[in-house]
Amino acid sequence: MSDAKIGVYVCHCGTNIAATVDVAAVARFAATRPRVAVARDYKFMCSQPGQERIQKDIARLGLTRVVVAACSPQMHELTFRTACQEAGLNGYLCQIANIREHCSWIHADREAATAKAKALVAAAASRVAHHVPLEVTYAPLNPATMIVGAGIAGIQAALELAETGRDVYLVERDSTIGGKMAKLDKTFPTLDCSACILTPKMVSVSHRKNVHLLTLAEVERVSGTFGAFTVRVRRRARYVTDACTACGACAKVCPVTVPSPFDELLGERTAIHKAFAQAVPNAYVIEKQERPPCMEACPLHQEAAGYVALIGKRKFKEAARLIRQRNPLASVCGRVCYHPCEDECNRGLVEQPVAIQHLKRFALDWARAHGVTLAPPPVAARREERVAIIGSGPAGLVAANDLALKGYQVTVFEQWAQLGGLLATGIPAFRLPRELLEEEIAWIRALGVRLETGVRFGEQITLETLRRDGFRAVFLATGRRDLVRHDLPGLELAGVISGSEFLRNVNLGTDPHPLGRVVVVGGGTTAVDAARAALRLGSPVTLLYRRTRAEMPAMRGEVDDAVAEGVAVRYLTSPVEVLGAAGRVTGLRCVAMRLAGPDASGRRRPMPVPGSEQTIPCDLVVMAVSQRADVASLVEDGGFARTGWRPVAADPETTQTAQPDVFAGGDVVAGPSTVVAAMGYGRRAAEAMDKYLSGRPLTDFTTHLVRPRNLARENFRPHSYAPRYADTPRAPREPMPRREARERAADFGEVGTGYTEEQAVREAQRCLHCGVCVECRECERVCEPEAVAHAMTDVVEDIPVGQVLLATGYQLFDARRAGQYGYGRLPDVYQGLEFERMISSAGPTAGRVLTRSGRPPRAIAILHCVGSRDENYHRYCSRVCCMYALKFAHLVKDRTDAEVYQFYIDMRAYGKGFEEFYGRVLEEGANVIRGKAAEVVAARGPLAEYGALVVRCEDTLIGAFREVPVDMVVLCAAMEPQADAERLKRIFTISQSPDGFFLERHPKLDPTATFTDGIYIAGCCQGPKDIPDTVAQASGAAARMMGMIARGQVAMDPVRASIVAERCSGCRICNNLCPYAAIAFDEARRVSVVEQALCKGCGTCVAACPAGAIEGAGFTDEQIFAELEGLLAV
Amino acid sequence: MTFEPRIVGFLCNWCSYSGADLAGVSRIPSAPNLRAIRVMCTGRVDPTFVLRAFELGADGVLISGCHPGDCHYAEGNYKAMRRVALLQAVLKGAGVDPARLRIEWVSASEGEKFARVVNEFTARVRALGPLKAAAEPVAAAAD
Repeated sequence: MSDAKIGVYVCHCGTNIAATVDVAAVARFAATRPRVAVARDYKFMCSQPGQERIQKDIARLGLTRVVVAACSPQMHELTFRTACQEAGLNGYLCQIANIREHCSWIHADREAATAKAKALVAAAASRVAHHVPLEVTYAPLNPATMIVGAGIAGIQAALELAETGRDVYLVERDSTIGGKMAKLDKTFPTLDCSACILTPKMVSVSHRKNVHLLTLAEVERVSGTFGAFTVRVRRRARYVTDACTACGACAKVCPVTVPSPFDELLGERTAIHKAFAQAVPNAYVIEKQERPPCMEACPLHQEAAGYVALIGKRKFKEAARLIRQRNPLASVCGRVCYHPCEDECNRGLVEQPVAIQHLKRFALDWARAHGVTLAPPPVAARREERVAIIGSGPAGLVAANDLALKGYQVTVFEQWAQLGGLLATGIPAFRLPRELLEEEIAWIRALGVRLETGVRFGEQITLETLRRDGFRAVFLATGRRDLVRHDLPGLELAGVISGSEFLRNVNLGTDPHPLGRVVVVGGGTTAVDAARAALRLGSPVTLLYRRTRAEMPAMRGEVDDAVAEGVAVRYLTSPVEVLGAAGRVTGLRCVAMRLAGPDASGRRRPMPVPGSEQTIPCDLVVMAVSQRADVASLVEDGGFARTGWRPVAADPETTQTAQPDVFAGGDVVAGPSTVVAAMGYGRRAAEAMDKYLSGRPLTDFTTHLVRPRNLARENFRPHSYAPRYADTPRAPREPMPRREARERAADFGEVGTGYTEEQAVREAQRCLHCGVCVECRECERVCEPEAVAHAMTDVVEDIPVGQVLLATGYQLFDARRAGQYGYGRLPDVYQGLEFERMISSAGPTAGRVLTRSGRPPRAIAILHCVGSRDENYHRYCSRVCCMYALKFAHLVKDRTDAEVYQFYIDMRAYGKGFEEFYGRVLEEGANVIRGKAAEVVAARGPLAEYGALVVRCEDTLIGAFREVPVDMVVLCAAMEPQADAERLKRIFTISQSPDGFFLERHPKLDPTATFTDGIYIAGCCQGPKDIPDTVAQASGAAARMMGMIARGQVAMDPVRASIVAERCSGCRICNNLCPYAAIAFDEARRVSVVEQALCKGCGTCVAACPAGAIEGAGFTDEQIFAELEGLLAV
Repeated sequence: MTFEPRIVGFLCNWCSYSGADLAGVSRIPSAPNLRAIRVMCTGRVDPTFVLRAFELGADGVLISGCHPGDCHYAEGNYKAMRRVALLQAVLKGAGVDPARLRIEWVSASEGEKFARVVNEFTARVRALGPLKAAAEPVAAAAD
């Protein structure tokens, strides 16, 4: 170091430096610094003579260090290092002092600038004395490349790179390649058809064996370094396999249509679709957004959205078939399900939820009325294992159905003579016609399930006998019953009965005694059912409820029906004593209540009003207050624990009890719940028992447990194409036709008569098709190659590549933000890509230019610079708008009789053939008005005769305010960076310019590289540009990448950390600090070691090492301390 | 004559040094008081560099790196941020106004911001006056 001989060279850079910095004075000063052997100034150091000057001095004077005071090291560091290297001096013994970008260009005061330049030179000279020779090392480069984005830029680059014969991964997030260019009709200025020139390239991509097309794919993470990146790509499920032949049969049967993004939402497409005719890959794709909440909310996972959509398309048979496939008690659910699906229906946020339950009933009634046989799902291979199910309620029946479908030998034991459990004994026939229940039980029987009645668990059979008889698993689904006895005087009198017992007697016809006057106590479904049943048996009925109508747990409609039929309801009334004579009920003494603060359940607590007692004379008191499972026999027999409302302990996930072969579900476990909840338990238990009997762990269930957190409203939105709730046209729910109250109160026939076909279709069409695909599986049914795969899931892949090209393109400025132009508000204001689709012969109007009302426009205004060249939005020029606006003018003139008005600020026609094209369009008679349009308004007054809209502007050529009536307005919305450009920027650690486009390494000289080695950019992700420029940049980037592939290796900057083992104390602070996990601890030597291949040279560990044991080559402590000394010497 | 402070700037190679270059290319004028040292990452800035700068007579030290989340090396800028917080406490203990040490985020595209930061910080340090009395205790802390 002390013997270092330093040469200092101060560059004038013409006048760039010399005009502000006294370069001669800087050189004179430099000569006075320690160890400086020579200091010179020269006009252009980077020129050949400049470099030779340095080389000569190295040779003649024996310089051992060089300082060049010139431009930024980003510009010429490599130049001077190479010059030194050529003269036999290691390039890393040369240091640059940046006196141009950091000094002469930003300061005006010559004296201050010269002083600063001296300090920078002194710093460099002081630092360079401590430099040591460093050697560039080389690492192999993976010749595989990745291109992100498959628009024209990505396609072009892929085709170029494919020529190397190496692997090219083309990642595209859409279902097809082609990007925005595929949407264009004609391209300026040559007017060649966009599809005609693009689609051959698209096909060509698909034919290249070494181009791996990853559609529906997005990059999630990048690791590794230049030459050896690993890119993590998530490929979203297509739900259609490679077997797809693109025959299109699926799209014909798909009941869901949504606006087509390819047609800029002007046209429609089905949920299973191909983006456009020439899409590559040529295969269909199913769009699934979030799963519809109706399905999420259903414990059975019934495809509510699916059958609703099918009914909307008058496919009643298909709807019924879909329902039946998943639901063995479909008609039952169509009547008595409490339909949690409707509670979660997004239509409810518009006005009222879709009447899903009524539609289900309609589909099944229609099928029955039309003699459609609904085949059960296919039965799996026969299994010899016998399974016992205790209880034939909804839980037991569904479990029996599912296990039978899985091939098991199932026997159901029912204690009563009637099958169906609560469905048969607890629900009166006017809510659930018995023949429907019997029909569905018959379906289950037809699967081979043995149904034995009159067998009581704990009496004829026990777990012991069942096991002895060869049952390998038992499902307890004994449900609930029994009164929780109130501490009410007189309950022992004849004529007091529990609600469930009363209903059972009525339903089973076992106690048809004359009822006389009936009082029902309670406010739940059982109470209301009991009251209405008693009414139908001819009794006057009074219903007592201790709270008000608002707190009543029974469904509101049921209460209304009961009142209409003649049940007298007395709210805020509670019994205090049953009165009797000769052991029989004669009346009920009651007290009036008032509501106090909320109790533990959140409902307001009723308090008796003193002195309000009165007596209701009656002959029968039905206590329908609370229910609890009758588990005495279970507890005695099986020794199950029971607590509170959960009489039998079973794992809520697996339904398994403490005895591994015994499962339990439904009300016996969960306490009183609903029919569909019980069915859900049955389904879960069947899957658990199948796993158990197959020796598989009870995990990874495919069946569904409804979890309230899944149903948080804010997590569900109708799909992105639906109008906002506030903008959705109102359509009230179809009312269920019903029989007259008086008529229906006289018998046990059904109350509602069911939708007509027209009503059902209308109601079904209210569905918003949340999730787009509704999983009706019609596509699956018609697909001959069996390519539809609804169960497909996303795939995450780690792909090793050497280099990556980003060609992610642009998005259009949202013209709604420039509200003065009325986009999104006035019907016939379009943005450029929409108009592009409209004039495309393959577009939604087959190329006809029509207003929304279907008329050809008399005049069209084309507004330039919407969102661009505008201080409020984007200051930059979007570059392509002038020319495509002229193209639109030409096409409109060519195809319609409409007048065209262009509103422009400056006409930018700078490209090859552009000016000529401008002239041609002017000759064709397009009107051009120089002036930025101020606003677009609906026409009023006399102007309305000439157009529906009026464009207002200042015509700056004639200096006058103008109002131009037109029928259609096209906004040339600016190109802007993709919404997720920032996410990609972070993934690839590149930069964005202030306008948000990706930052190139140099705006003029290096437009395809980024500051991150091995990451390149091309096309509109770098800035707005037209197709020729995009293609040129893409080819340029590909050439850069090919150069690296040909070289086959990557130069590794020697700026890296290393640990001097003798100084390392083994504290391991650095181990966790390294973002690349490049530092490992050598247990044998008790020191940390830097893995050189992984180190990227940031120096964070160097700064953190308390022992100073880590050296950062090129940026050592000594070098930086020396630099500081020089810097502050002046 | 007004006091002209000498300020040392540690600029990371990827964001702030390039941002300063862009300010130059765009000819955005700024105060000549800042003298830059290029480091690969602000994570390389050893606290002793800062203390040594003050010891050698700097009136202010600016550390400027990539925006949070944008670090070329994933998280070096967070490390720098933590060290600056500690350093400021040390400086305060040594009788140096912690406002003399500043950390900023300037991206490669923020030439204008770079110039603004330099001007603002220069004005702030100028207002604080020369760093004299504090030099000795700082030197002690550095050893």
